Amino acid sequence: MKASKSQKRLVFFAGKGGVGKTTCSSAYALSRQSGRVLVVSTDPAHSLGDALGARLSSKPQRVARRVDAVELDAPRAFARWLSEHRRPLADVIEHGTWLDREDVDALLDLSIPGVDELVGIIEISRLVARGGRRESEGRRRGGLGGGGREARGGHAYDLIVVDTAPTGHTLRLLAAPETVAAVAEVLDALQEPHRIIRDRLARVGRADASDRLIALLAAQARDTAALLRDPASTAFHWVTVPEDLASAEAADGIRALDAGGMRVSAIVVNRVLPDSGPCPLCDPRRADQQRVIADLRRGLGRGRDLSIVPASVDEPRGVRALASLAQHHAAAAVAQAFRPANGRASSLEGLRYGHLRTRQASDQFGNIAQSASLLFFGGKGGVGKTTVAAATALWLAQRDPQRRVLLLSTDPAHSLGDVFQAQVGDIAHTVPHGPGNLVVRELDAARALAVRRTAFEAALDEIASAFGAGAVAASGGASELMTLAPPGIDELFGVLSVVEARADFDVIVVDTAPTGHALRLLEMPDAARDWMQVLLRVLLKYKTLVRPGQLAAELVELSKSIRALQALLRDPAQTHFIVVTRAAEVPRRETVRLLAQLRRLRLATPALVVNALTIAPGRCRWCRATAAAERRELDALRRVCARRCAMIDTPLVAPPPRGVRQLNEWAARWLQPKAPTSTPSSSRRRVRA
Amino acid sequence: MFILDTLLIGSLRFVLDKVVAAAEAEMNDDSALRDQLLEAQMRLELGEISEDEFAAIERDVLAAIREIKRPRQGALTMSPDDRITGVDIESFEEPEAPRVLRRQRRRR
Repeated sequence: MKASKSQKRLVFFAGKGGVGKTTCSSAYALSRQSGRVLVVSTDPAHSLGDALGARLSSKPQRVARRVDAVELDAPRAFARWLSEHRRPLADVIEHGTWLDREDVDALLDLSIPGVDELVGIIEISRLVARGGRRESEGRRRGGLGGGGREARGGHAYDLIVVDTAPTGHTLRLLAAPETVAAVAEVLDALQEPHRIIRDRLARVGRADASDRLIALLAAQARDTAALLRDPASTAFHWVTVPEDLASAEAADGIRALDAGGMRVSAIVVNRVLPDSGPCPLCDPRRADQQRVIADLRRGLGRGRDLSIVPASVDEPRGVRALASLAQHHAAAAVAQAFRPANGRASSLEGLRYGHLRTRQASDQFGNIAQSASLLFFGGKGGVGKTTVAAATALWLAQRDPQRRVLLLSTDPAHSLGDVFQAQVGDIAHTVPHGPGNLVVRELDAARALAVRRTAFEAALDEIASAFGAGAVAASGGASELMTLAPPGIDELFGVLSVVEARADFDVIVVDTAPTGHALRLLEMPDAARDWMQVLLRVLLKYKTLVRPGQLAAELVELSKSIRALQALLRDPAQTHFIVVTRAAEVPRRETVRLLAQLRRLRLATPALVVNALTIAPGRCRWCRATAAAERRELDALRRVCARRCAMIDTPLVAPPPRGVRQLNEWAARWLQPKAPTSTPSSSRRRVRA
Repeated sequence: MFILDTLLIGSLRFVLDKVVAAAEAEMNDDSALRDQLLEAQMRLELGEISEDEFAAIERDVLAAIREIKRPRQGALTMSPDDRITGVDIESFEEPEAPRVLRRQRRRR
């Protein structure tokens, strides 16, 4: 992962959540020997600042000699872009519809699902283009972000390193240029009648600001799409850890990028356990890791660099640690990785104490899980959300065979199928050897969109005619948007699926995408209601021109369901958000931010699951050092929870539990191991921490 | 005279036609009422009217719809023949008018 001498201008680090994309991308940037480098984080839940040990913002900030870093703030960047282009954009909509300025303003003020991806990709291409044009011309023309004086000054970068969001949303990010192109096409169709009038009647054959904006968007989309597919200037590095779930996701992701014409040139296998002598816990893990690495090499290694980065007890944090990580390779770093931090050794007392806590907390957790009808599991990528959610859903279904339980994954990069070792798809099914009252579903938003395409197209037609833009619905752009699965679609369908499933299930367990997009999912009901309000208002306003028909009736129904969902989400008796984390510094920092944001959204967060603890460590140095580091983090997490939520620990098992039987065995170690008792439902009402 | 008659009768028929159609629409077509209800629902979702105001509108509209349905249901209990023989209008000297009405009835 050491940066080689190449003329690449853009390097993406992609991979499953929590595999160390941020660590690897910053280490890569810091190891560059020449030229100016910018590290950009596009994950709405940023951890770049945590990794670099610096407070970052949406303005590029110097973190080392020649290296700047920035965390994109997509909604703000979009607001800035909009304020710059508002007039020509509003003109286009006004020209192409019978909406007046008031309506148009209401439309433009709506928040756009998928804005993170749309803004992210345009901003990246702008930064690259600026680097190409060199400093003097590098003014921010039409760019989405930057904005600060520093950015205005126009530092040009020779290399942009992109630390992306976890897999699912990175795939959406890389497909975003197509969405921008389709939007430009729709705007072009809206502008066309105006253009004809202007050119034929007024005989002013000159492009106006709106024409220029449309051309700019189309050009940016085209250039970015080409840039991403140009192996001479863009490289993709896939980061993974030697575990089955992550390597399955690597295979899917690399295949998807290949299909999109983007080639992954390097694979980084991070957190490979160093050799530390015989140990009952580490030996099977190490063997399992070697098997996964061999499989990776066989399956994906051909024509790609495969580098191994050893695990370290404390995640490398800060510029110096990251820079040295890049220098070290495989064996060289092993000795380093072992040193127990602060020289403290683990003591067994602490571990036993942790175990006692688990017993107490498990009752509490069981009650929390049982009392809810909507249960979200979320947290940083790679902490084990899916495994914990699956074990809990199984436990809930087995405990009360009368309750119908749905386990729904809304992460576009699903792992439910891998956890259950079964084919899981968009249609809810029971799992092999699982209880009959549990069905699982991996939401496939693109498929859901395709299935309902006719209905959606009819709705779009109706909206277009209600806006007085019937011709636009027939244009290529609109139907293009329908085939693209635009960014934000996963969150929209996530919400719709929960709304639909409410009627058929007593409990819905949602396995969410990593932090950033889980929050987007939870914000979606509010955003969707805003959209519906604007649409309804327009339909009413022009009801004499177009009679509100099927669309209006459906919007009213949907608006009602979403209102019910909003109320449900904010009902602490019915909806619980369980935060899953690990006892390590970076996940802990993200957990603190997530908890704060969930409280801002007024969601109940009664429990925190600290997953995969080295509870019964082996005898080796590695286990003892890890357990000691975890114990320090547990203390910090306990302070985070304070008295506000129950904290429950789950033990690390190697290899991780897969399939119903293993999940049950694992859950029995931390989730009320006793057989189900015939508690009347009233007595297992919520017990809050 | 014949031409004048035809013209006169023709336009008379046209007017009658329209009157009957409009009256029928008012009496039997509840789509306008349904639109009214949908509009009230939209306003409720937008927060422009309160639940109580909506309930009042809903009550009125549903009552009006019931009113429309009632005569139809009444007619169904009668024999269709009764209705046709009940066309007392045939006693009119003018042969054209009944035809108009008969046509309307068939359309029903």
